[in-house]
Amino acid sequence: MLGLFALFLLLPALLPRLGYTYLGTEVMIWAIFALGYNLLLGYTGLPAFGHGAFFGIGGYLLGMTQKWVTGGLALPLAAAAVGTLLCGAAVGLFVARRRGIYFSLLTIAFGVMFWFMVFVFDAWTGGEDGLTGINRLALLGYPLRDNVPFYYFVYAWFVGATVALWRIVNSPFGQVIRAIRQSESRARAVGYDTARYKWAVFALSGGFAGLAGGLYALARFGAFPEPMSLAQSGNVVLMCLIGGGFASFYGPVLGVVVFLVLRDVLSTLTDHWLLAYGLLFMGVILFMPEGILGVLRRLRQPAGFHDTAAAHAARGDEAATVPAPPGGERGA
Amino acid sequence: MTPDLVDLTTQILNGIVLGLLYAIIALGFMLILGTMEVINFAHGVLFALGGYFALALQPHVGWWGALVLAPLGVGLVGFVLERGVRRTYGKDPLFGLLFTFGAALALEEVIRIVWSPRGYTIAAPAFVAGRFEWGFLVYSRYRILVAVLAVVLLFLVWWFLERTPYGAIMKAGAHDSEMVRALGIDLGRLRSLVFSLGTVLAGVAGVIAAPMWSLKPTIGAEAVMPAFIVVVIGGIGSFWGAVVGGLLLGTVSGLSNLLVPRGSILVMYLLMALVLLWRPRGLMGQKSVLEL
Repeated sequence: MLGLFALFLLLPALLPRLGYTYLGTEVMIWAIFALGYNLLLGYTGLPAFGHGAFFGIGGYLLGMTQKWVTGGLALPLAAAAVGTLLCGAAVGLFVARRRGIYFSLLTIAFGVMFWFMVFVFDAWTGGEDGLTGINRLALLGYPLRDNVPFYYFVYAWFVGATVALWRIVNSPFGQVIRAIRQSESRARAVGYDTARYKWAVFALSGGFAGLAGGLYALARFGAFPEPMSLAQSGNVVLMCLIGGGFASFYGPVLGVVVFLVLRDVLSTLTDHWLLAYGLLFMGVILFMPEGILGVLRRLRQPAGFHDTAAAHAARGDEAATVPAPPGGERGA
Repeated sequence: MTPDLVDLTTQILNGIVLGLLYAIIALGFMLILGTMEVINFAHGVLFALGGYFALALQPHVGWWGALVLAPLGVGLVGFVLERGVRRTYGKDPLFGLLFTFGAALALEEVIRIVWSPRGYTIAAPAFVAGRFEWGFLVYSRYRILVAVLAVVLLFLVWWFLERTPYGAIMKAGAHDSEMVRALGIDLGRLRSLVFSLGTVLAGVAGVIAAPMWSLKPTIGAEAVMPAFIVVVIGGIGSFWGAVVGGLLLGTVSGLSNLLVPRGSILVMYLLMALVLLWRPRGLMGQKSVLEL
């Protein structure tokens, strides 16, 4: 973890030479989003789809608070995170008792609902044009308008969020959600109120998405509807998968880097980068569902040791305090 | 007659026609969902493809010819798609969803490349052009044809599912695939058939919807969401649930067009939330294997 933080601490010295001054900031913002999302996907095994909605809500909450309520920087960011957490909690009431594919279906529907709300309430959100005029202001005398101070502003949040998520994942709460991923019925039989845990995870990961979305709105000086679209909601899922969110805590961060760089390269190469993106999606699912870190882990393990369904076996060995069920029950 | 009542009747009729169409899209989606446990994200884009195929075919084979051939073309695309999807069977349900999601993005871009991003308006066939007048009521004759076709299609699907051995095998396959395989039925072929059939339904809906909505690359995404909601409202795995859910959603969105024109799309989601609060598995849903 320290290595990761050190790397991002030093990046601004390297990035300008590669022509990616702003990309580093964007990587950290998406990393907060993806790490929070992986709480659901990788750790609890809940295939939420439509999480981009919370990212977008965070941006709008930040923008609306800054414009019409308090101004400033700290309160709007808090409003973004806490407000989105509450939205997540509300949606969570509907979805927490579901799992598997039915859970996906519901999260898709609610995600799209928020997307349409942006257009219906366009007096507040700016509709198609977005909510513009968001101000980065200044912190400790450094104007955040410049990209380098802003980079370190986001860096501080990135470090904070990563440490917080790490603590969550390795807390007793984290052990329970891993147990739910392995077998919800077993976790319930042991005595945990699994629906309540799933609800809490959903709200929490919504909160992190809101924080990331708020930072993203600051980065772009405005909140726009397009991160909330269903197509964009797929991004965060793909980021987690490419990097290996099932296999490692850091999978999503690697995935974000790979995804954003790849998108940059692809969009300069071709006008039809969506086609390439769609095919990439299909390719990842077919050939590398466990992600980069998952493949690495598999290669490092002695032959014959690893499960064929590497995706769900990958982290089984870590969940030590809860007895592991024999074989995955999520397959079949 | 007061104009208000005329508006009301027209919107209700619109809602019913729309609802029947939603039911067809939702049934195809549900066949795939129920049998393969795959959320077919590409369903909307296949619906759009139906419309575009018809656009290309109509000058050559006429409207009725396109009504038959375009969905078959879509079914072929579905058949090919299933070859990839089948590698995700039995894995995390997310994988099938993501695979078809990628396919949806790619196919939508293909539509943009082939037909350009602009919209097309498609004329209704000549024999149903114009309006139908009956007392105070003036209604599009094409929409009446749509309703009739939709009812015929729904009947065919019902007959196939409930009155033929294939329907029985499909339902059994959704319930306990291992047992079905043990009885000597080729599960791979069954799944391939169901997937193609589901996409054919999307294609038919696309062909008949195209003259009502203008054809544009994003039309698929707009059509698939109501189908999702219909499935959630009606309950997974229930034929009548899809029909009732479709009609309910269609009528409610027709009426809300009249009352809250700007928010009518949100009313659909409100309806979904209300139904879920009342019956978490949908109106006619039963506890299913999908929840495990």
